[in-house]
Amino acid sequence: MSGDILVIVEQWKGQIDGITYQLLAKGAQLADSQGVGLSALIMGHRLDDIVGDLKDKGMNTLLVIDDPELEQAGAEVCAAVIAEAVRQVDPGLVLMGYSLVGMEMAPPVAARLGVTLMTNCVNVENDKGEFVVTRPLFDGTVHARIALEGKGPAVVALQRGPTPTEQLPSKDISIESITVDLKAVPVRSTVLELIEAPESEVDITKADILVAIGRGIGDKDKLPPIEDLAQALGGIIACSRPLVDLGFLSSERQVGSSGKIVAPKVYIACGISGASQHLTGMSDSKMIVAINKDPNAPIYQVAHYGVVADLFEIVPALTETAKKN
Amino acid sequence: MKIIVLCKAVAVGVSDVKIATGGKALQYQSQLLAMNECDEYALEEAIVLKRAHGGEVTVLTMGSITTQNILHLALAKGADRVIRVDAQVQDSQAASIVLAAALGKLEYDLVLTGTQSRDTLSGLAGITQVEMDGEKSIRVLKELGGGRSARVQLPLPALLCVQTGIQRLTYVPPARMNRARQQPVRSFSLEDLGLAEEQVVAQGYHFLDVFPPTRTGQVQFLEGSAQEVATTLFAKMKEVM
Repeated sequence: MSGDILVIVEQWKGQIDGITYQLLAKGAQLADSQGVGLSALIMGHRLDDIVGDLKDKGMNTLLVIDDPELEQAGAEVCAAVIAEAVRQVDPGLVLMGYSLVGMEMAPPVAARLGVTLMTNCVNVENDKGEFVVTRPLFDGTVHARIALEGKGPAVVALQRGPTPTEQLPSKDISIESITVDLKAVPVRSTVLELIEAPESEVDITKADILVAIGRGIGDKDKLPPIEDLAQALGGIIACSRPLVDLGFLSSERQVGSSGKIVAPKVYIACGISGASQHLTGMSDSKMIVAINKDPNAPIYQVAHYGVVADLFEIVPALTETAKKN
Repeated sequence: MKIIVLCKAVAVGVSDVKIATGGKALQYQSQLLAMNECDEYALEEAIVLKRAHGGEVTVLTMGSITTQNILHLALAKGADRVIRVDAQVQDSQAASIVLAAALGKLEYDLVLTGTQSRDTLSGLAGITQVEMDGEKSIRVLKELGGGRSARVQLPLPALLCVQTGIQRLTYVPPARMNRARQQPVRSFSLEDLGLAEEQVVAQGYHFLDVFPPTRTGQVQFLEGSAQEVATTLFAKMKEVM
């Protein structure tokens, strides 16, 4: 167990978040390349079902912290518990998801352990025995490869990426309980309520075609051509976060790390620059078309087809073509 | 209520990014420095809280004197005073040490800052709303992703990380900006904060390489008239449907 790659499992009310499987796939690669084991840490309460779901997902050890106090625990408590578990387990590297939950927990985990933290990473690899992360900088226009140095397990938080398609090989797994004295964890905050996502009028995760718009739309009164295109294609309108912040569209249509993760057959990104939080939400789409005036927009990193042009010229033309056919 | 807002001046229009000697920092050219977007939303929220509950808003930044334009913007938006820590620290964990030391010199009930800066993209979780719950605690609505959220109660003093969209960004007329530029800016040196330069350097890593991101999708750019592009795109779409 000491020196293992340790994945922190993310779950919501008994459902494992998809990012966990990406972390396990990456963790398995790193563990194999280093000749160490892969461990995962799950915490919460009444975890038997989750343990059952996880135990054939390629890890050597599944560490379980099951306590009624963890059923509705906030990030403050969870981070303290993870840090204590890491001290007990002594892994070689800690992998967390760079979800909104992970964004809040990774820094206090690293601070409590006094170790290096690399967040928002798009990759981590073993390069001649060193862990090397790749992460975006400057609105995603630049990527940096960064080598982690010695001393203590670094904490690496990975962005959501493509959902792994290959099943990890089952291993002889050891399921072990860890005890953390929760009374010794200083708690200042109180979680009053966990709130499910509201009922939506539209479900963008089920659409075959999404016509997504970003800040390039300009004003809210410029929406009609986009609505026409979505209708002509039999698709649904989606958007990036800024349009929700501006009040142009409701949050149920937001694609990205703080919104919905989608993978339609066709994703047409109109006037979307491609901030990493947005790319996280749609890069699994089967065909991605990006229409943006800026040829260097990060959206082109994931697009299959790019059109460097004014979207208000291309969108009406595409609508007309769709209507004729 | 005493509110401190941590605002970062971030480089916009960055180019020519290189690894600095020593491998611990980056050098680059930029067109200008602007207030980090999330931090600007945090400032707007602080001003709203001040108007609702009374008190004062202090904006704190860290950087060279060229960052003072964002402090002038903060004053123009309604901050009561502004402070600059005269230090240039790229690494986020090292920056936390400096900012914590600066906060240690100040009185506050609440610290607001944005979730993530657009240059390092390092980030912390966000809060979407703040409401008062008695004098000594607050309740916040926190995003968890996927439309889910949590309502959390925190005693004061507290630090909150604010998402974009928590308030509308207010427009600042040029005349107000000009008046803001005349107001004093307090500054702290690292020595004032009891810190030495060697304490606030990047630790535990070094840069190997910087490069434009790889295009994983191998984009094919389509050219021609709008109609030609539309015809090609529609045909491609039919193939996948």
